Amino acid sequence: MTSLAASRAMDMDVPAPDQERGRVSVLRVASVRKVYDQLEAIREVTLDVVDGEFVSVLGPSGCGKSTLLMMIAGLVDVTGGGIVINGTPVNGPRREVGVVFQSPVLLPWRTVLQNVMFPVELLRLPQAEYKARALDLLRMAKIDDFVDMLPRQLSGGMRQRTAICRALVHNPSILLMDEPFSALDAITRDEMAIELLRIWQVNRKTVLFVTHSIREAVLLSDRVLVMGRRPATIIEELRVDIPRPRHIGMTEDESFNRMVRHLRRAIETSHAG
Amino acid sequence: MPANLSKHIAAAFWPTLFTVLGLMAWEAAVHVTGMRSIILPPPSEIFAVIVARYDLLLAHLWPSIYLTVLGFLLAVVGGILVAIVITYSEIIRRGFYPVIVVSQVIPKIAIAPLFVVWFGTGTMSSLLLAFLISFFPMTINAAMGFQSVDEDIQRMARTFMGTRWQIFWKIRMPNALPYIFAGMKISITLAIIGVIVAEFVASQEGIGYLIKLAGGLLDTPLMMAAITVLSIAGLALYWIIAVAESRAVYWQAPAEAVGGGG
Ligand SMILES: Nc1ncnc2c1ncn2[C@@H]1O[C@H](COP(=O)(O)OP(=O)(O)OP(=O)(O)O)[C@@H](O)[C@H]1O
Ligand SMILES: [Mg+2]
Repeated sequence: MTSLAASRAMDMDVPAPDQERGRVSVLRVASVRKVYDQLEAIREVTLDVVDGEFVSVLGPSGCGKSTLLMMIAGLVDVTGGGIVINGTPVNGPRREVGVVFQSPVLLPWRTVLQNVMFPVELLRLPQAEYKARALDLLRMAKIDDFVDMLPRQLSGGMRQRTAICRALVHNPSILLMDEPFSALDAITRDEMAIELLRIWQVNRKTVLFVTHSIREAVLLSDRVLVMGRRPATIIEELRVDIPRPRHIGMTEDESFNRMVRHLRRAIETSHAG
Repeated sequence: MPANLSKHIAAAFWPTLFTVLGLMAWEAAVHVTGMRSIILPPPSEIFAVIVARYDLLLAHLWPSIYLTVLGFLLAVVGGILVAIVITYSEIIRRGFYPVIVVSQVIPKIAIAPLFVVWFGTGTMSSLLLAFLISFFPMTINAAMGFQSVDEDIQRMARTFMGTRWQIFWKIRMPNALPYIFAGMKISITLAIIGVIVAEFVASQEGIGYLIKLAGGLLDTPLMMAAITVLSIAGLALYWIIAVAESRAVYWQAPAEAVGGGG
């Protein structure tokens, strides 16, 4: 296994967060608004994510986090404003986007490998080439021993790992994740967060990660955005300058906890307001 | 698969035991009470009749089974095709589907004499009644299977820009399979009923005709032999579907059937 060494090497290439300014923008959400029938879910959200950046979106339940992600994925129309991915406006699902949903959403009649290959089939990509890639991803996610198993034979964590591999198999430039670990128990959840970071270090995708967990957001991200209550806007933004690679022990550090407290206060203010 | 086999044997043990005990009790009751065989023949006599007149029984069983299977297959193919139309056509779904569902209430058996008026006393009436009676539950189950695709799965497929065609073959079809098999299990039993009833009403052959004929002659042992042979054939057909189901729907336990009733 050279992945650790590889990730270290890559880590040195990655500029410190302060130097990230000036890198290419992969995702730009400009003054996006969303109204469902009568309900104004999102009032105004503007954000910019640069290449290779890991950004989390925190916010109270029902504030429109999923709505925002679905709009970026091209699954839901915006009411106002615009979304641009890699320089092209979003008006439907796009090849360069991979989505991980709250539940794994695996097809029960397909094995792990067949589930991961599903996007390759739909997008009509060359099977042989991408099968090798799928197996690589599964190895990285440590489920290569289960490739021929059906979803019902897997644990919840293994199912979500499969879903992550599926979202990455067609080599998207953006990975959108909507509370991907919220169905898991606390221990598996931490484990999965670290796994995700490991996979991310190797693949270097741009990630937009929605979560309820402040701790998880800080542990994973380069930057954390906080959405206020409905009708939502971005009420707080925090750069997380903890060095990478990160590990679970960092959650005990004072600087880590300072950031968690800061974000919690921001969210509490939004609740009060 | 020795483990699997022994599990099957274990599962079959109690039902077999109860059946054998039941037959023995029946046999004993008939002998003890001295019941005449015109009222209730003992199992041994029924068995003897089956052995002695198997050529007569088989000669009448064959056309019945043939028509049952044919009517059933037409219902399966027709039901699946109509279900696909229902799934993809808003107008049909809103206009035609409720009619199908409500028509479940009509006892289709009651229109058997009407079929004889329309299609004569030949095999056509039997075939059409078998088809008609098994078509509706087949359609309803298949339609439900095609339509009950999880919202999240549809959304997931959309993110990968799946076409309608891909979504049909890779998602809707496998999703519908358990429902289709549930529908087939209902339909095969209904198809048998359809054929037998049609043969009761008007036919010169078939196991239904033989049952009616034996009844008219007060030959109760022959009648019960015919019923027994018919039941065994029906079980065999059902079993074939159940085996096919466990192969085809390898990823889950069989789905609950919906609809049904003739
Ligand atoms: N399809 C829809 N039609 C109408 N209203 C909707 C729809 N989807 C979401 N909403 C509403 O929009 C608001 C935001 O929903 P959304 O699912 O985006 O919230 P969320 O931040 O993801 O919440 P959670 O953290 O609980 O997942 C909610 O009030 C919800 O009721
Ligand atoms: Mg949500």
